[in-house]
Amino acid sequence: MANFEEWHVDPAAFERDYLKPIHRVGTITSILIFVALFLPSIWLYFITGVFPDWQTILTGFGLAMTYAIPFYISEPIAYYPIVGNAGWYLCGTIGNGSNLRVPCAAVAQEVAGVKEGTLEGELVAAVGVSVSVFVSVPAIFFGALLINQIQQYFPAWLMDAFNRFLLPAVFGSVWGQFILRGWKYAPFAFVLALVPILYKVHSAWALVICVLGTMFVSWAMLHFLKIEA
Amino acid sequence: MEMVNWKEIANGLWIWICGGITSGLGLYMAYYFYKRAVSFMHNSGVPKDVTRSMVRGAVITAIGPVLSNVFIMIALAVAISPGLAFQREGVGVGSVFTELVQASNAAIAAGEKFGDPSFTIKGFAAAIFIMNIAGWGWSVEAICTRYLGKIREKLTGGDPKLLAAIAASSMVAVFSYYSVSNAIKGDGFLVAVIVSLLFSMFLFKLADWMKRPHFKEWALGIAMFVGMIAGKLYAG
Repeated sequence: MANFEEWHVDPAAFERDYLKPIHRVGTITSILIFVALFLPSIWLYFITGVFPDWQTILTGFGLAMTYAIPFYISEPIAYYPIVGNAGWYLCGTIGNGSNLRVPCAAVAQEVAGVKEGTLEGELVAAVGVSVSVFVSVPAIFFGALLINQIQQYFPAWLMDAFNRFLLPAVFGSVWGQFILRGWKYAPFAFVLALVPILYKVHSAWALVICVLGTMFVSWAMLHFLKIEA
Repeated sequence: MEMVNWKEIANGLWIWICGGITSGLGLYMAYYFYKRAVSFMHNSGVPKDVTRSMVRGAVITAIGPVLSNVFIMIALAVAISPGLAFQREGVGVGSVFTELVQASNAAIAAGEKFGDPSFTIKGFAAAIFIMNIAGWGWSVEAICTRYLGKIREKLTGGDPKLLAAIAASSMVAVFSYYSVSNAIKGDGFLVAVIVSLLFSMFLFKLADWMKRPHFKEWALGIAMFVGMIAGKLYAG
């Protein structure tokens, strides 16, 4: 395996040959996906003649936004520094950031031996996140198609284990990896995670407090104590 | 209108085609990004076996969460339809739980109750509209990705040391929060978090001690399975 400490990306070439086309295709495709989200409702209207009235839309939208808006704020703050531009286009449009895209980006960076927040880290994260999409989209398609067979052939015990305990295990294992990489921030992050939870702060705001608080600590450590990442 | 069987319509070919369109767009975007990143790395002198190693690591890591998504998706497929589950989860922004909450919100807005036998095509039309537009914010944020980079540059002044510190600290913080919020539930959840945490640290360190970086490809995948099984065994 190559020694990645010797691998440095030329910022001008990165901007010209990678970032510009990524932004062009990412913006156009994200707009198309956004428009495509209205397709089911329009199609349903043509089939059945049923379309929700404005009052239903506004009430439903209002209820939906009380849940979603805090996450609109917390997720880009939390994920963008890790997954970079290409990764964020995919997280924003395809979702599953915390449980799938970020862990795949992180393991790719670990395998490559590059640091997050660098140009090298951004390229490697793009590979990790893209590969997670290649795995997840077909799996969801076949999973939906073969839903009866899945229910029949997978033991209930295993499905229950996946339903209840895989997510905490994903978070725990990625946390372990990141503690090794950023151990100096871990005690602060732990306290900043625990306190809002104990005070029952809304989950998205608790995430914002934890992430921004830990970022502030990292800035203070660098600025006042010259402790680097 | 009440005579229309919404369950039959909810799994029609049309919804699979809608899911196919959004999934196709998502796959195209991922493929384009992948090709760009890999070709840029190869042109910068990164050997092919290294990029292959990254891909293997990401595939192994993705298996557990993807299987979990498929199993959890069953709830949405049963509650509404497999077609809608694919349309929402293939390139869906929310978790299945979020989707079910949004469907319930839409039903309330339409004056119906989701999951009730009295649920009609009117409630379904509201659910499908609200579930899809509820993710508008993430889509808009994705469209505006180029500005996130500019905001970051402005806030950090482009200082590479500060950028590295912010990225490293945010990684630790995000997963501290998610891990602590799960662990605090106690029981099997606490066991799953602690076992996977310790196992992952051990496996990554082991790869370094043995000077076998390829082991790292397997570390997260193994740690999450071990943690999950430990949680389940403890909880019974």
